[in-house]
Amino acid sequence: MRKLPYILSLLVLILLAGCDKPESDLPVNTRLGGEFSLTDQDGKPFSQDNLKGQVSILFFGYTHCPDICPAVLARVAQVYRNLDEAGLADRVQPVFITFDPERDTAEHLKEYLPWFKAEMVGLTGSLAEIRQVAEQYGVVFIKGDEEENYLFTHSDYIYLLDDQARVRKLYPADFNIDEVAADAESLL
Amino acid sequence: MQKVFSKGAVLAGAMLWAATAQAELVLDEAWLRAVPPVSPSMAGYVTVTNTGDAAVVITGARSDFAGHVMLHDMSMQEDGTRAMRHLHEVMVPAGGSVSFAPGGMHLMLMHLSRVPAEGERASLCLELRNDTSVCADFTVSRTSPFEA
Repeated sequence: MRKLPYILSLLVLILLAGCDKPESDLPVNTRLGGEFSLTDQDGKPFSQDNLKGQVSILFFGYTHCPDICPAVLARVAQVYRNLDEAGLADRVQPVFITFDPERDTAEHLKEYLPWFKAEMVGLTGSLAEIRQVAEQYGVVFIKGDEEENYLFTHSDYIYLLDDQARVRKLYPADFNIDEVAADAESLL
Repeated sequence: MQKVFSKGAVLAGAMLWAATAQAELVLDEAWLRAVPPVSPSMAGYVTVTNTGDAAVVITGARSDFAGHVMLHDMSMQEDGTRAMRHLHEVMVPAGGSVSFAPGGMHLMLMHLSRVPAEGERASLCLELRNDTSVCADFTVSRTSPFEA
């Protein structure tokens, strides 16, 4: 019986060892997401499988967008840099999907995205491919009538995906940077 | 803070006083969203206060590094999307102010001959209906330099 306290202490230590990383309580959104096929900024195929094994901060936009999109890009980049400073960015991947493939070619995305200093993946594709993935994420985009310098009416949610590429949380465009960073950390 | 200046070369003293007495525009918190050097456009933001005793109408804007500057408004639609709308004029009431701010009214700079770099101060002028303009140096920043 004298050994009982030691055995109990050992059991507690084993249980605590398994609790050093709390499970995230973010629910899985089963209505959004799914298989897709796009092209990254290096011209390589990129599918849902490429999102697995890391936490992704995924969002849609276009580089000719002057107001909301650069703001969202800057804020997502700040989330990434905050996680990087905390040593947590190696399994976090910001992913930008354009809905303007006509102007946002892989080459243009490769020139445009590094400025944000967030190791961002940029995805483009055919209009059909982009329409498909946009539908999967509930994204609406409508091209303007202008011949030149056309703009889009669009939705602008940001999606946090876990390491199985499942959507775990949505944020508005003016999301709180600390909130997204904390949520991403909870999924690591 | 910048005040309105007449485009005209020389005006009689009394006429100049009359013109400025009607329209005293003050520009505050002027900034441009920093964007990558390959960007074709960028957005500008500013608060315009009219300290005069007559309404002032902004009809456009110009800058030496942008081929075209438009007044735009961004608004949330019922379906949750955001739509951009070209404004042909914006009125600043006497004693009132108007804000060009992210997610709302903003200046859209297009056909950029160069993209001002982060940290730079770039001059931009608002054009008014009465053939005058008011200019300010806009700070180029990734996020608003005026937010707490």
